[in-house]
Amino acid sequence: MSVVARSSGRLSPSGKVVVPLLGALVLLLVVLLAGVGTGLIPAIVIWIGGVLIANVAIVRFVVAATAVLLFTIPTAFVIIFLELKVIAFMNLRIGPNRVGPWGTLASVVHGLKVLSKEDFTPTGADVTVFTLAPVVTFVGSVMAFMVLPFGPGLFGVDFNVGLLYFFGVGGLGVVGLLMAGWSSFNKYSLLGGLRSAAQMVSYEIPLTLSVAGVIMLAGTMSLNGIVQAQSGSFLDWFVVRQPLAFLVFFIAATAEANRTPFDLTEADSEIVAGFATEYSGMRFGFFFFAEYVNVFLLSGLAVVLFFGGWTAPVPWPWPVHILLTSSELGPALIALIVVVPVVGSVLFALPVWMLRSEWPFWRAWILGLVLFSLLAIGALGIYLLINLDALLGIVWFFAKAYVFVFTFVWMRATLPRVRIDQLMGLAWKWLLPAALVNLFLTALAILVVHP
Amino acid sequence: MVTRIPSLDDPRVLVETPATIYDAIPPYAPRTEREAEFYTLRDGEMLVNMGPQHPSTHGVLRLVVKIEGERVVDLDPVLGYLHRGIEKLSENADYHHAICYTDPLEYVSSLFNELAPVMAFEHLLDLRVPRRAEYIRVLSCELNRIASHALFIGWMALDLGGITPILYSFIERDEIVEMLAALTGQRMLFNYMRIGGVNGDLNHEFLSRLGDWMGHALAQVEADTALLNQNEIFVRRTRGLGRVDRRTALELGISGPNVRACGVPYDVRRAHPYSVYPELEFEIPTREEGDSYARYMLRIDEIKQSIHIIDQVMHQMPDGPVMAQLPRRITPRPGRAWAAVESPRGQYGCFAISDGTDQPFRFRIHDPSFVNLQAVVPLMPGNLLADTMAVMASLDPVMGGIDK
Repeated sequence: MSVVARSSGRLSPSGKVVVPLLGALVLLLVVLLAGVGTGLIPAIVIWIGGVLIANVAIVRFVVAATAVLLFTIPTAFVIIFLELKVIAFMNLRIGPNRVGPWGTLASVVHGLKVLSKEDFTPTGADVTVFTLAPVVTFVGSVMAFMVLPFGPGLFGVDFNVGLLYFFGVGGLGVVGLLMAGWSSFNKYSLLGGLRSAAQMVSYEIPLTLSVAGVIMLAGTMSLNGIVQAQSGSFLDWFVVRQPLAFLVFFIAATAEANRTPFDLTEADSEIVAGFATEYSGMRFGFFFFAEYVNVFLLSGLAVVLFFGGWTAPVPWPWPVHILLTSSELGPALIALIVVVPVVGSVLFALPVWMLRSEWPFWRAWILGLVLFSLLAIGALGIYLLINLDALLGIVWFFAKAYVFVFTFVWMRATLPRVRIDQLMGLAWKWLLPAALVNLFLTALAILVVHP
Repeated sequence: MVTRIPSLDDPRVLVETPATIYDAIPPYAPRTEREAEFYTLRDGEMLVNMGPQHPSTHGVLRLVVKIEGERVVDLDPVLGYLHRGIEKLSENADYHHAICYTDPLEYVSSLFNELAPVMAFEHLLDLRVPRRAEYIRVLSCELNRIASHALFIGWMALDLGGITPILYSFIERDEIVEMLAALTGQRMLFNYMRIGGVNGDLNHEFLSRLGDWMGHALAQVEADTALLNQNEIFVRRTRGLGRVDRRTALELGISGPNVRACGVPYDVRRAHPYSVYPELEFEIPTREEGDSYARYMLRIDEIKQSIHIIDQVMHQMPDGPVMAQLPRRITPRPGRAWAAVESPRGQYGCFAISDGTDQPFRFRIHDPSFVNLQAVVPLMPGNLLADTMAVMASLDPVMGGIDK
C-alpha cells in the first residue's frame, strides 16, 4: 500500500504536510514539462518580460514599494532591540540576554509572541473601525517611507513635492490613533485618542514651518534635491545654516513620533495604554510597529533635511573609481576566479598546517580556504564601498539616522513625561513663534544674499 | 443600556438603574448627599474609574475621577480592596502573636508597624527595654525609613513617566534590604521587634554591609537623585502642584513629610520623643511651599538626616542585652496604652486596651496613609487628569496600611 493511497486521516502529522507538498511538486513538474513542450511557458515569459520592460517606471515602483515594506520589519526589530538594550544599559540592568547572541533575537521573539496572542475585540467596540485603525496607522508610516532617499538612486519615488507628500501621509497615523481611541469603547482609549489628535495637530504646524526654511534654501521640495543641495562637506549641511529650525524640527518630531517626553497618548501611569488599551495580538503589534517605523522615519527625515542625507561629512579623501579598465578586465577576471583562490588558500593553509602538524593537509587547506574567503569578502566589501556611491551613501545615511534613533531612546530613558497643557503651550507659545522667526530670517537672508 | 439591580430595601425586587456595567456609578441608590452629588453627571462630564487595577495606583486604591475633558472636577477614593481585618485578628491572638499580624500592614516600612504595637504593649506592661535594644530599634528603623523613601523617589518618577530613577533609587533600597535581611532574616516583613527588645543582636554580616554602605551613602543619594531634582520637566510638573496650605494640613490631620512640606515642623521623634531619640542630634527638615516638589525634596532631606542618625547610633551603641527578662505568657494588668512612632509616612500610632488576659481587648492602628489620603479630595479638583497620579505619588499612600 503506497503512502499516497492512504486516507489522510491515517497519516502522521508530518505526513499531512509532506504528502500534499509532494503532490504539488509532481503537479508543478507536469505543468512545467507540458508548458515547455508546447512552447507556452517561453512565450508567456517573453510576453511578461516585454510588458515589464515597457513599464519600467511601474516595475521600479512596485519593487521599491515591496523593498520598503520588507525593510520596515528589520528596522522595527533593530530599534526594539536597541531600545531594550540601551535603556537597560542606562538603567544599570543587563537587558535581554537569553535569545540569540547578546539577546539580539529578543525583539524577534517579541514579534512571534505578539503574533501568537489572541486577537481580542471588546464588547461594544465598533468592529470595523477597530479593525481598520492599526492598518491605517501602519500604512501611513510605510507610505511615507517611499520618498525617503537612502542613498544616491536608492529611493522609492522622487516626487517634486516629496516633503509635502511625506507630511501629508505621515498625518494619516493620527487618523488611525483617533479611530482606535474612538472605536475601543473605553474611556482611557478615548482620552488617548483625543490627546493624540490634539498633539499631532498642534505639532504638525511647527514641524512643517521649521522645514520651510530648508525648502527655501534648497529651492525644491524633492528630498533628493534637498540632499543634493547639501553635498560637499559638513559645512554645507542645513543644520549649520538653520540651527533654530533643526531644534524646532527635532522637538516637534519627537512629539510626532509619540516618544518620551511627549508620549502622552500612551501614558501608562495616567491612561493605562491610551489608544492601545483594548488592543491585543498583532493589532497591538501593528501600532508598535508603526511607532518604531515612525522613529526611524523621522530620524531619516532629520538626516535628509539637516544632516546632508547620504553625503559624507568630509569629501572622500582617497582616489575613488579604481575600476580596472575594460582591456585588462578579461585576464584580471580569470586571475581573480581561478588563480587567486587556489594560491591564496594554499598560502593561508601552510601556516595552519605548520601549527597543526597532526592534521592532514586537506583539513588545513579547508581552513585556509575559509580564512581566504573571509578576507576576500572583506576586500570586496571595501572595494565596493569605495567604488559604489550608493553603498557608501547608504552606510552614511544609516550611521546618521541611527544616531538620532539612539537619541530618541536615550531621551526615553532619561526624561519624565510632560503634561498636556505644557505640551500645548510648548507648541503654540514657543515652537511656532520660533519657526516663524526662523522663516522670516531665512527669507531676509535670501533676499539680501541673492536679490 | 439599562441594567436591573436588586433594590436596597428588598433584594428580591429588581429596579432599573441608568448605570451600566461599563460605568463607575455604584449599582444602588445614593446613600449620602455627597454620593448623590458626586455620581450625578452634568453636561460634558465623565467618570473615569482609575483602579483598583491601574498601572500607577499605589496598591489597590480605586479612584473614581469625574473629569471634564482633561480637567478633574471631583474625585472619590474608594477603599477596602485590601482589607484583611488585621485589627480584629490581633484581638484574637496573644500579645506576641499580634506583632506578626501588624507586620504586613504598611508593607514598605514594616519595622515601624511592629515598633508602635510593641511600644504600646510595653507601656501596658510598664516594661523597661535594654538600652542596646533601643539603639538597635532606632538603627533598623532609620534604615527602613531610607529604604521607604528610596522607593518613594522611584515611584514618584515612574508616575511622572520617568523610567530610570526607580532603578537608581533601588540601588540604595536593595542594599538596605539585604542589610536588614542579614539582621532579621527577612527581606520585607521583618518580624524583628519583640516586646521587651529585639529578636537578635547585631551580627557580623550586617555590620560589614552597613560599614561599606555608610562610606558612600550620602554621595550615592546625591548621585541617584541628580537625574530628577533639577530636571526641567519634573520641576515644572511638580512645583505648585497639589499645594496644601498649613491650615488645611492641620485641619485634615496630615502628618509626616506631607505636613512638614507645608512648614509645620511636627515630627513625633521630637514632639513626643520615644526610644533614644532625645539623645540623638538631628534636624527636622521643613519646607514652606507645600507642593508636590516640596514633598519630594523633603524626603531626600530626610534620607540625609537618617544617615546622620545612623552614624550617631553606631558611635553611641552601648553594650548589654537586647531583650528584657519577661515571661512567655504576658498578662498585663487592665488598662489602656497609646504609642506613636514617626513612620516614613507620618504619625503611626497604636492603641491597645488590656482586660487582664493574654490577648488585647481592643487593638487599634492609626495609620498615617489613611489620613494623608484625605488630602487628595480637596487637592485634586481643578488639576489635570495627569496630575492625579503626581499628587497621589507625592502623598505616598500605601494601601496595605489604609485598608488594614
